Amino acid sequence: MLKKRLMGVVTVKNGWAVQSFGYQRYLPLGKPECLVENLNRWGADEILVQVIDASTKGLGPDFKLLEKISQLGLETPLVYAGGIRNLEDAVKVIQMGADRLVVDALLHANLGEVIQISQRLGAQAVIASLPLSWSGQELLWFNYLKGQLHPFPESLLNLMHSETISEVFLCDYLHEGQERGFETALVDHFPNPKVPLIAFGGLSSAPQLQDLLSRTQISAVAIGHFLTYLEHALQAYKEALFGMPIRPSKYETRFSLLSHVNT
Amino acid sequence: MKVITVGVIDYGMGNQASVIHALRGLGFRVRMSANISELEQTEILILPGVGAFPSAMQKLHQLDLVSYLQEKARKHDPIIGICLGMQLFASLSHEYGLTAGLDLIPGEVLPSSQAKWHIGWNTFESVSDDPLFKASDGQTFYFNHSFYFQGPREYHIAVTRHVQPFVSAIRRNKVVGVQFHPEKSQSAGRELLKNLIVGLIDA
Repeated sequence: MLKKRLMGVVTVKNGWAVQSFGYQRYLPLGKPECLVENLNRWGADEILVQVIDASTKGLGPDFKLLEKISQLGLETPLVYAGGIRNLEDAVKVIQMGADRLVVDALLHANLGEVIQISQRLGAQAVIASLPLSWSGQELLWFNYLKGQLHPFPESLLNLMHSETISEVFLCDYLHEGQERGFETALVDHFPNPKVPLIAFGGLSSAPQLQDLLSRTQISAVAIGHFLTYLEHALQAYKEALFGMPIRPSKYETRFSLLSHVNT
Repeated sequence: MKVITVGVIDYGMGNQASVIHALRGLGFRVRMSANISELEQTEILILPGVGAFPSAMQKLHQLDLVSYLQEKARKHDPIIGICLGMQLFASLSHEYGLTAGLDLIPGEVLPSSQAKWHIGWNTFESVSDDPLFKASDGQTFYFNHSFYFQGPREYHIAVTRHVQPFVSAIRRNKVVGVQFHPEKSQSAGRELLKNLIVGLIDA
Protein backbone atom coordinates (compact mmCIF):
# COMPACT_ATOMS: atom_id res chain seq x y z
CA MET A 1 0.00 0.00 0.00
CA LEU A 2 1.28 3.44 -0.90
CA LYS A 3 2.15 5.35 2.26
CA LYS A 4 1.39 8.98 2.91
CA ARG A 5 4.51 11.05 3.52
CA LEU A 6 5.95 13.31 6.18
CA MET A 7 8.06 15.80 4.32
CA GLY A 8 10.70 17.86 6.11
CA VAL A 9 11.05 21.40 4.75
CA VAL A 10 14.20 23.53 4.87
CA THR A 11 13.57 27.14 3.91
CA VAL A 12 16.61 29.03 2.62
CA LYS A 13 17.10 32.79 2.32
CA ASN A 14 20.38 34.59 1.63
CA GLY A 15 22.11 31.23 1.75
CA TRP A 16 20.96 30.44 5.29
CA ALA A 17 18.26 28.14 6.56
CA VAL A 18 15.62 30.33 8.18
CA GLN A 19 12.57 30.01 10.32
CA SER A 20 9.90 31.84 8.41
CA PHE A 21 6.80 33.53 9.77
CA GLY A 22 4.27 34.05 7.01
CA TYR A 23 7.18 34.56 4.59
CA GLN A 24 7.56 38.03 6.10
CA ARG A 25 9.80 37.67 9.14
CA TYR A 26 12.77 35.36 9.32
CA LEU A 27 15.06 33.97 11.98
CA PRO A 28 18.30 32.28 10.96
CA LEU A 29 18.62 28.61 11.86
CA GLY A 30 22.02 27.74 10.44
CA LYS A 31 23.51 26.05 7.43
CA PRO A 32 20.86 24.46 5.23
CA GLU A 33 22.97 21.39 4.57
CA CYS A 34 23.15 20.66 8.32
CA LEU A 35 19.35 20.69 8.61
CA VAL A 36 19.05 18.53 5.52
CA GLU A 37 21.52 16.07 7.00
CA ASN A 38 19.45 15.81 10.18
CA LEU A 39 16.25 15.14 8.26
CA ASN A 40 18.03 12.46 6.27
CA ARG A 41 19.33 10.85 9.46
CA TRP A 42 15.91 10.92 11.08
CA GLY A 43 14.31 9.11 8.15
CA ALA A 44 12.07 11.81 6.67
CA ASP A 45 9.97 10.45 3.81
CA GLU A 46 11.03 13.33 1.57
CA ILE A 47 13.08 16.48 2.10
CA LEU A 48 12.08 19.75 0.45
CA VAL A 49 14.68 22.50 0.14
CA GLN A 50 13.00 25.74 -0.86
CA VAL A 51 15.17 28.73 -1.71
CA ILE A 52 12.70 31.55 -1.34
CA ASP A 53 14.77 34.44 -2.67
CA ALA A 54 16.04 32.75 -5.83
CA SER A 55 13.18 33.93 -8.05
CA THR A 56 12.66 37.33 -6.42
CA LYS A 57 16.34 38.15 -7.02
CA GLY A 58 16.35 36.50 -10.47
CA LEU A 59 19.22 34.26 -9.41
CA GLY A 60 18.10 30.96 -10.87
CA PRO A 61 18.38 27.71 -8.90
CA ASP A 62 20.96 27.58 -6.10
CA PHE A 63 23.29 25.08 -7.73
CA LYS A 64 26.02 25.69 -5.13
CA LEU A 65 23.64 24.61 -2.40
CA LEU A 66 22.56 21.60 -4.44
CA GLU A 67 26.23 20.68 -4.85
CA LYS A 68 26.76 20.87 -1.07
CA ILE A 69 23.68 18.76 -0.46
CA SER A 70 24.78 16.31 -3.11
CA GLN A 71 28.05 15.82 -1.21
CA LEU A 72 26.02 14.62 1.80
CA GLY A 73 25.08 11.46 -0.04
CA LEU A 74 21.41 11.69 0.91
CA GLU A 75 19.45 8.47 1.08
CA THR A 76 16.17 10.33 1.29
CA PRO A 77 14.28 11.65 -1.74
CA LEU A 78 15.10 15.31 -2.30
CA VAL A 79 12.67 17.88 -3.69
CA TYR A 80 14.05 21.26 -4.78
CA ALA A 81 12.21 24.57 -5.09
CA GLY A 82 13.50 27.98 -6.01
CA GLY A 83 14.49 29.92 -9.10
CA ILE A 84 13.72 27.34 -11.77
CA ARG A 85 13.35 29.42 -14.93
CA ASN A 86 13.31 26.90 -17.74
CA LEU A 87 13.81 23.32 -18.87
CA GLU A 88 17.59 23.64 -18.74
CA ASP A 89 17.47 24.65 -15.05
CA ALA A 90 15.07 21.82 -14.29
CA VAL A 91 17.22 19.14 -15.94
CA LYS A 92 20.32 20.38 -14.12
CA VAL A 93 18.49 20.37 -10.77
CA ILE A 94 17.60 16.71 -11.28
CA GLN A 95 21.08 15.79 -12.47
CA MET A 96 22.51 17.36 -9.32
CA GLY A 97 20.59 14.99 -7.11
CA ALA A 98 17.03 16.25 -6.73
CA ASP A 99 14.38 13.63 -7.40
CA ARG A 100 11.60 16.11 -7.99
CA LEU A 101 11.22 19.84 -8.36
CA VAL A 102 8.74 22.53 -7.46
CA VAL A 103 7.67 25.38 -9.71
CA ASP A 104 6.02 28.53 -8.41
CA ALA A 105 7.12 31.75 -10.15
CA LEU A 106 7.18 29.88 -13.46
CA LEU A 107 3.44 29.21 -13.08
CA HIS A 108 2.93 32.97 -13.35
CA ALA A 109 5.66 33.65 -15.90
CA ASN A 110 5.61 30.84 -18.44
CA LEU A 111 3.24 27.88 -18.31
CA GLY A 112 4.61 26.64 -21.63
CA GLU A 113 7.99 26.07 -19.98
CA VAL A 114 6.29 24.07 -17.20
CA ILE A 115 4.74 21.85 -19.86
CA GLN A 116 8.15 21.32 -21.50
CA ILE A 117 9.69 20.39 -18.15
CA SER A 118 6.90 17.90 -17.58
CA GLN A 119 7.32 16.35 -21.02
CA ARG A 120 11.07 15.94 -20.55
CA LEU A 121 11.24 14.85 -16.92
CA GLY A 122 7.80 13.31 -16.55
CA ALA A 123 4.91 14.83 -14.62
CA GLN A 124 5.78 12.72 -11.59
CA ALA A 125 8.85 14.92 -11.13
CA VAL A 126 6.92 18.20 -11.23
CA ILE A 127 5.10 19.75 -8.28
CA ALA A 128 3.20 23.04 -8.48
CA SER A 129 3.57 25.29 -5.46
CA LEU A 130 0.44 27.30 -4.81
CA PRO A 131 0.54 29.86 -2.00
CA LEU A 132 -3.15 30.20 -1.19
CA SER A 133 -5.40 31.99 1.25
CA TRP A 134 -9.09 31.62 2.05
CA SER A 135 -11.12 34.79 1.94
CA GLY A 136 -14.11 33.18 3.62
CA GLN A 137 -15.76 32.86 0.23
CA GLU A 138 -13.09 31.89 -2.24
CA LEU A 139 -9.52 30.70 -2.61
CA LEU A 140 -7.01 33.37 -3.55
CA TRP A 141 -3.66 32.69 -5.22
CA PHE A 142 -0.74 34.80 -4.06
CA ASN A 143 1.84 36.06 -6.53
CA TYR A 144 4.73 36.68 -4.18
CA LEU A 145 6.87 38.31 -6.87
CA LYS A 146 4.31 41.10 -7.26
CA GLY A 147 2.69 40.86 -3.85
CA GLN A 148 -0.73 40.48 -5.47
CA LEU A 149 -3.69 38.21 -4.79
CA HIS A 150 -5.65 36.68 -7.66
CA PRO A 151 -8.77 34.51 -7.87
CA PHE A 152 -7.85 30.89 -8.61
CA PRO A 153 -7.23 31.06 -12.38
CA GLU A 154 -8.56 28.84 -15.13
CA SER A 155 -4.99 28.27 -16.35
CA LEU A 156 -4.08 26.44 -13.13
CA LEU A 157 -7.17 24.28 -13.37
CA ASN A 158 -6.20 23.37 -16.92
CA LEU A 159 -2.66 22.58 -15.80
CA MET A 160 -3.96 20.12 -13.22
CA HIS A 161 -6.57 18.70 -15.58
CA SER A 162 -3.94 18.09 -18.27
CA GLU A 163 -1.84 16.20 -15.69
CA THR A 164 1.20 18.34 -16.38
CA ILE A 165 1.99 18.33 -12.68
CA SER A 166 1.68 15.38 -10.33
CA GLU A 167 1.04 17.09 -7.00
CA VAL A 168 0.22 20.51 -5.59
CA PHE A 169 2.26 21.94 -2.74
CA LEU A 170 -0.61 23.72 -1.05
CA CYS A 171 1.03 26.45 1.00
CA ASP A 172 -0.92 28.33 3.63
CA TYR A 173 1.51 31.22 3.37
CA LEU A 174 -0.38 33.43 5.83
CA HIS A 175 -0.06 30.92 8.66
CA GLU A 176 3.36 29.56 7.80
CA GLY A 177 5.42 29.41 11.00
CA GLN A 178 2.36 29.73 13.25
CA GLU A 179 1.65 26.81 15.58
CA ARG A 180 -1.48 24.88 14.55
CA GLY A 181 -2.15 27.69 12.08
CA PHE A 182 -2.97 25.68 8.94
CA GLU A 183 -6.32 26.67 7.40
CA THR A 184 -8.10 23.44 6.45
CA ALA A 185 -10.57 25.41 4.31
CA LEU A 186 -7.79 25.52 1.72
CA VAL A 187 -8.12 21.76 1.35
CA ASP A 188 -11.90 21.69 1.68
CA HIS A 189 -12.38 24.25 -1.09
CA PHE A 190 -9.56 23.19 -3.39
CA PRO A 191 -11.14 23.28 -6.87
CA ASN A 192 -9.69 20.04 -8.23
CA PRO A 193 -10.64 17.10 -5.99
CA LYS A 194 -8.35 14.63 -7.78
CA VAL A 195 -4.90 16.18 -7.73
CA PRO A 196 -2.86 14.97 -4.72
CA LEU A 197 -2.09 17.73 -2.23
CA ILE A 198 0.95 18.29 -0.03
CA ALA A 199 -0.22 20.47 2.85
CA PHE A 200 2.21 23.03 4.25
CA GLY A 201 2.18 26.07 6.51
CA GLY A 202 1.45 26.14 10.22
CA LEU A 203 1.47 22.37 10.70
CA SER A 204 2.81 21.61 14.14
CA SER A 205 0.57 19.28 16.13
CA ALA A 206 -0.04 15.55 15.75
CA PRO A 207 -3.88 15.84 15.83
CA GLN A 208 -3.68 18.43 13.05
CA LEU A 209 -1.49 16.12 10.96
CA GLN A 210 -3.79 13.20 11.72
CA ASP A 211 -6.81 15.18 10.53
CA LEU A 212 -5.09 16.07 7.27
CA LEU A 213 -3.63 12.62 6.62
CA SER A 214 -7.05 11.05 7.04
CA ARG A 215 -8.30 13.06 4.02
CA THR A 216 -8.14 11.16 0.74
CA GLN A 217 -6.70 14.04 -1.27
CA ILE A 218 -3.76 14.65 1.05
CA SER A 219 -0.72 12.66 -0.11
CA ALA A 220 1.77 14.31 2.22
CA VAL A 221 2.15 16.81 5.01
CA ALA A 222 5.15 19.11 5.02
CA ILE A 223 6.65 20.47 8.22
CA GLY A 224 9.20 23.24 8.45
CA HIS A 225 11.00 24.60 11.47
CA PHE A 226 8.80 22.72 13.95
CA LEU A 227 11.15 19.84 13.19
CA THR A 228 14.21 21.87 13.99
CA TYR A 229 14.21 22.38 17.73
CA LEU A 230 13.99 18.82 18.91
CA GLU A 231 16.29 15.88 18.22
CA HIS A 232 14.33 13.11 16.50
CA ALA A 233 11.28 15.39 16.13
CA LEU A 234 10.28 13.53 13.01
CA GLN A 235 10.22 10.17 14.75
CA ALA A 236 8.17 11.74 17.54
CA TYR A 237 5.56 12.91 15.03
CA LYS A 238 5.46 9.47 13.43
CA GLU A 239 5.04 7.75 16.75
CA ALA A 240 2.18 10.11 17.62
CA LEU A 241 0.59 9.24 14.27
CA PHE A 242 0.55 5.52 14.97
CA GLY A 243 -2.23 3.86 12.95
CA MET A 244 -2.09 6.33 10.08
CA PRO A 245 -0.99 5.06 6.63
CA ILE A 246 2.60 6.26 6.97
CA ARG A 247 5.99 4.58 7.23
CA PRO A 248 6.82 3.81 10.84
CA SER A 249 9.56 5.78 12.53
CA LYS A 250 13.06 4.42 12.54
CA TYR A 251 16.05 5.13 14.71
CA GLU A 252 18.90 3.85 12.70
CA THR A 253 22.62 4.11 12.51
CA ARG A 254 25.08 2.82 9.97
CA PHE A 255 27.36 1.83 12.80
CA SER A 256 26.71 -1.08 15.05
CA LEU A 257 26.77 -0.07 18.69
CA LEU A 258 28.41 -3.38 19.43
CA SER A 259 31.20 -3.02 16.91
CA HIS A 260 33.55 -1.33 19.36
CA VAL A 261 32.88 -3.62 22.27
CA ASN A 262 35.75 -5.89 23.13
CA THR A 263 34.52 -9.33 23.96
CA MET B 1 38.73 -8.06 -0.14
CA LYS B 2 38.68 -6.80 -3.72
CA VAL B 3 36.84 -3.51 -4.31
CA ILE B 4 34.14 -3.81 -6.97
CA THR B 5 34.08 -1.15 -9.70
CA VAL B 6 30.59 -0.13 -10.76
CA GLY B 7 29.94 1.70 -14.03
CA VAL B 8 27.15 4.27 -13.97
CA ILE B 9 25.94 5.06 -17.46
CA ASP B 10 25.98 8.81 -18.00
CA TYR B 11 23.41 9.58 -20.66
CA GLY B 12 22.05 12.83 -19.28
CA MET B 13 18.78 11.40 -18.02
CA GLY B 14 19.45 10.50 -14.47
CA ASN B 15 19.94 11.56 -10.93
CA GLN B 16 23.46 10.19 -11.26
CA ALA B 17 24.76 12.15 -8.28
CA SER B 18 22.49 10.27 -5.88
CA VAL B 19 23.36 6.89 -7.35
CA ILE B 20 27.09 7.59 -7.23
CA HIS B 21 27.00 8.72 -3.60
CA ALA B 22 24.98 5.70 -2.59
CA LEU B 23 27.43 3.35 -4.30
CA ARG B 24 30.48 5.02 -2.79
CA GLY B 25 28.80 4.92 0.61
CA LEU B 26 28.52 1.17 0.18
CA GLY B 27 32.24 0.90 -0.48
CA PHE B 28 32.18 0.44 -4.25
CA ARG B 29 34.44 2.22 -6.69
CA VAL B 30 32.38 4.15 -9.25
CA ARG B 31 33.04 5.23 -12.82
CA MET B 32 30.40 7.40 -14.46
CA SER B 33 30.73 7.50 -18.22
CA ALA B 34 29.08 7.20 -21.59
CA ASN B 35 32.30 5.98 -23.10
CA ILE B 36 32.23 2.27 -23.91
CA SER B 37 35.94 1.69 -23.33
CA GLU B 38 35.62 3.23 -19.85
CA LEU B 39 32.47 1.26 -19.06
CA GLU B 40 34.25 -1.90 -20.16
CA GLN B 41 36.69 -1.44 -17.28
CA THR B 42 33.89 -1.96 -14.74
CA GLU B 43 32.40 -5.16 -13.39
CA ILE B 44 28.74 -4.21 -13.41
CA LEU B 45 26.71 -1.46 -15.08
CA ILE B 46 23.93 0.64 -13.61
CA LEU B 47 21.47 2.44 -15.85
CA PRO B 48 19.74 5.11 -13.75
CA GLY B 49 17.01 7.32 -15.11
CA VAL B 50 14.54 10.09 -14.45
CA GLY B 51 12.43 11.38 -17.30
CA ALA B 52 10.51 10.34 -20.35
CA PHE B 53 11.18 7.09 -22.22
CA PRO B 54 11.53 8.52 -25.77
CA SER B 55 14.10 11.17 -24.74
CA ALA B 56 16.09 8.54 -22.86
CA MET B 57 16.18 6.11 -25.81
CA GLN B 58 17.15 8.97 -28.10
CA LYS B 59 20.10 9.78 -25.83
CA LEU B 60 21.20 6.12 -25.71
CA HIS B 61 21.08 5.94 -29.52
CA GLN B 62 23.05 9.19 -29.85
CA LEU B 63 25.74 7.77 -27.59
CA ASP B 64 25.86 4.42 -29.45
CA LEU B 65 24.99 2.62 -26.24
CA VAL B 66 21.95 0.63 -27.43
CA SER B 67 23.79 -2.17 -29.22
CA TYR B 68 26.50 -2.12 -26.55
CA LEU B 69 23.99 -2.78 -23.77
CA GLN B 70 22.24 -5.45 -25.86
CA GLU B 71 25.57 -7.20 -26.40
CA LYS B 72 26.39 -7.00 -22.68
CA ALA B 73 23.07 -8.63 -21.85
CA ARG B 74 23.66 -11.39 -24.45
CA LYS B 75 27.04 -12.08 -22.86
CA HIS B 76 25.31 -12.37 -19.47
CA ASP B 77 27.22 -9.42 -18.05
CA PRO B 78 25.40 -7.86 -15.08
CA ILE B 79 23.31 -4.71 -15.60
CA ILE B 80 20.96 -3.04 -13.12
CA GLY B 81 18.27 -0.60 -14.27
CA ILE B 82 16.74 1.86 -11.83
CA CYS B 83 13.28 3.40 -12.36
CA LEU B 84 13.30 4.67 -15.96
CA GLY B 85 16.41 2.51 -16.39
CA MET B 86 14.31 -0.59 -15.69
CA GLN B 87 11.63 0.55 -18.14
CA LEU B 88 14.27 1.01 -20.85
CA PHE B 89 15.01 -2.73 -20.61
CA ALA B 90 11.55 -3.42 -22.07
CA SER B 91 10.80 -4.08 -25.73
CA LEU B 92 8.76 -0.91 -26.18
CA SER B 93 6.99 1.92 -24.41
CA HIS B 94 3.70 3.69 -24.96
CA GLU B 95 4.89 6.95 -23.36
CA TYR B 96 4.29 9.81 -25.85
CA GLY B 97 3.56 7.31 -28.63
CA LEU B 98 5.38 4.07 -29.33
CA THR B 99 9.14 3.90 -28.80
CA ALA B 100 11.30 0.79 -29.08
CA GLY B 101 13.28 0.01 -25.95
CA LEU B 102 16.51 -1.91 -25.36
CA ASP B 103 14.53 -5.17 -25.48
CA LEU B 104 16.69 -6.85 -22.85
CA ILE B 105 13.62 -8.21 -21.05
CA PRO B 106 10.46 -8.84 -23.10
CA GLY B 107 7.65 -6.55 -22.09
CA GLU B 108 5.95 -3.21 -22.62
CA VAL B 109 5.81 0.01 -20.63
CA LEU B 110 2.27 1.28 -20.28
CA PRO B 111 0.37 3.98 -18.42
CA SER B 112 -1.78 2.82 -15.56
CA SER B 113 -5.46 2.64 -16.33
CA GLN B 114 -6.31 3.50 -12.73
CA ALA B 115 -3.71 5.58 -10.94
CA LYS B 116 -1.89 8.19 -12.96
CA TRP B 117 1.12 8.42 -10.69
CA HIS B 118 2.79 6.34 -8.08
CA ILE B 119 4.83 8.60 -5.83
CA GLY B 120 6.09 7.73 -2.38
CA TRP B 121 6.99 4.75 -0.23
CA ASN B 122 5.45 1.38 -0.95
CA THR B 123 5.98 -2.27 -0.14
CA PHE B 124 8.04 -4.75 -2.14
CA GLU B 125 6.40 -8.18 -2.33
CA SER B 126 8.67 -10.88 -3.65
CA VAL B 127 6.97 -13.30 -6.06
CA SER B 128 10.03 -15.39 -6.88
CA ASP B 129 12.63 -17.41 -5.03
CA ASP B 130 15.44 -15.20 -6.26
CA PRO B 131 17.96 -15.13 -3.39
CA LEU B 132 19.17 -11.64 -4.29
CA PHE B 133 15.80 -10.20 -3.31
CA LYS B 134 14.98 -12.44 -0.38
CA ALA B 135 16.05 -9.94 2.30
CA SER B 136 13.97 -7.18 0.68
CA ASP B 137 10.62 -8.94 0.84
CA GLY B 138 8.19 -6.75 2.80
CA GLN B 139 10.50 -3.73 2.87
CA THR B 140 9.33 -0.32 1.70
CA PHE B 141 11.07 1.58 -1.08
CA TYR B 142 10.67 5.00 -2.69
CA PHE B 143 8.79 5.05 -6.01
CA ASN B 144 8.35 7.98 -8.38
CA HIS B 145 6.88 7.00 -11.74
CA SER B 146 3.79 7.14 -13.91
CA PHE B 147 4.35 4.25 -16.35
CA TYR B 148 4.48 0.55 -15.54
CA PHE B 149 6.21 -2.55 -16.91
CA GLN B 150 4.07 -5.40 -18.19
CA GLY B 151 5.68 -8.59 -19.43
CA PRO B 152 5.83 -12.37 -19.11
CA ARG B 153 5.40 -13.74 -15.61
CA GLU B 154 8.69 -15.64 -15.77
CA TYR B 155 10.64 -12.37 -15.50
CA HIS B 156 8.71 -11.01 -12.51
CA ILE B 157 10.67 -10.81 -9.28
CA ALA B 158 8.37 -8.63 -7.18
CA VAL B 159 5.10 -6.78 -7.24
CA THR B 160 3.84 -3.70 -5.43
CA ARG B 161 0.22 -2.70 -4.87
CA HIS B 162 -1.16 0.66 -5.92
CA VAL B 163 -4.83 0.26 -6.72
CA GLN B 164 -3.80 -2.89 -8.64
CA PRO B 165 -0.60 -4.91 -8.19
CA PHE B 166 2.14 -4.00 -10.67
CA VAL B 167 5.59 -5.41 -11.39
CA SER B 168 8.23 -3.59 -9.32
CA ALA B 169 11.28 -5.76 -10.05
CA ILE B 170 12.26 -7.89 -13.05
CA ARG B 171 15.14 -10.15 -13.94
CA ARG B 172 16.40 -12.03 -16.98
CA ASN B 173 19.74 -13.74 -16.49
CA LYS B 174 22.00 -11.02 -15.09
CA VAL B 175 19.84 -8.09 -16.16
CA VAL B 176 17.86 -6.78 -13.21
CA GLY B 177 15.44 -3.85 -13.13
CA VAL B 178 13.80 -2.17 -10.16
CA GLN B 179 11.01 0.34 -10.59
CA PHE B 180 11.83 2.16 -7.36
CA HIS B 181 14.88 4.14 -6.25
CA PRO B 182 17.08 2.01 -3.96
CA GLU B 183 19.57 4.87 -3.77
CA LYS B 184 16.89 7.00 -2.08
CA SER B 185 15.30 4.29 0.03
CA GLN B 186 17.46 4.59 3.12
CA SER B 187 18.56 1.37 4.84
CA ALA B 188 16.30 -0.92 2.80
CA GLY B 189 17.70 0.53 -0.42
CA ARG B 190 21.31 0.28 0.71
CA GLU B 191 20.86 -3.36 1.59
CA LEU B 192 19.19 -4.24 -1.71
CA LEU B 193 21.73 -2.36 -3.80
CA LYS B 194 24.60 -4.14 -2.09
CA ASN B 195 22.93 -7.54 -2.40
CA LEU B 196 22.27 -6.97 -6.10
CA ILE B 197 25.77 -5.78 -7.01
CA VAL B 198 27.63 -8.42 -5.04
CA GLY B 199 25.15 -11.17 -5.91
CA LEU B 200 25.07 -10.50 -9.66
CA ILE B 201 28.85 -10.39 -9.90
CA ASP B 202 29.16 -13.64 -7.95
CA ALA B 203 26.33 -15.38 -9.81
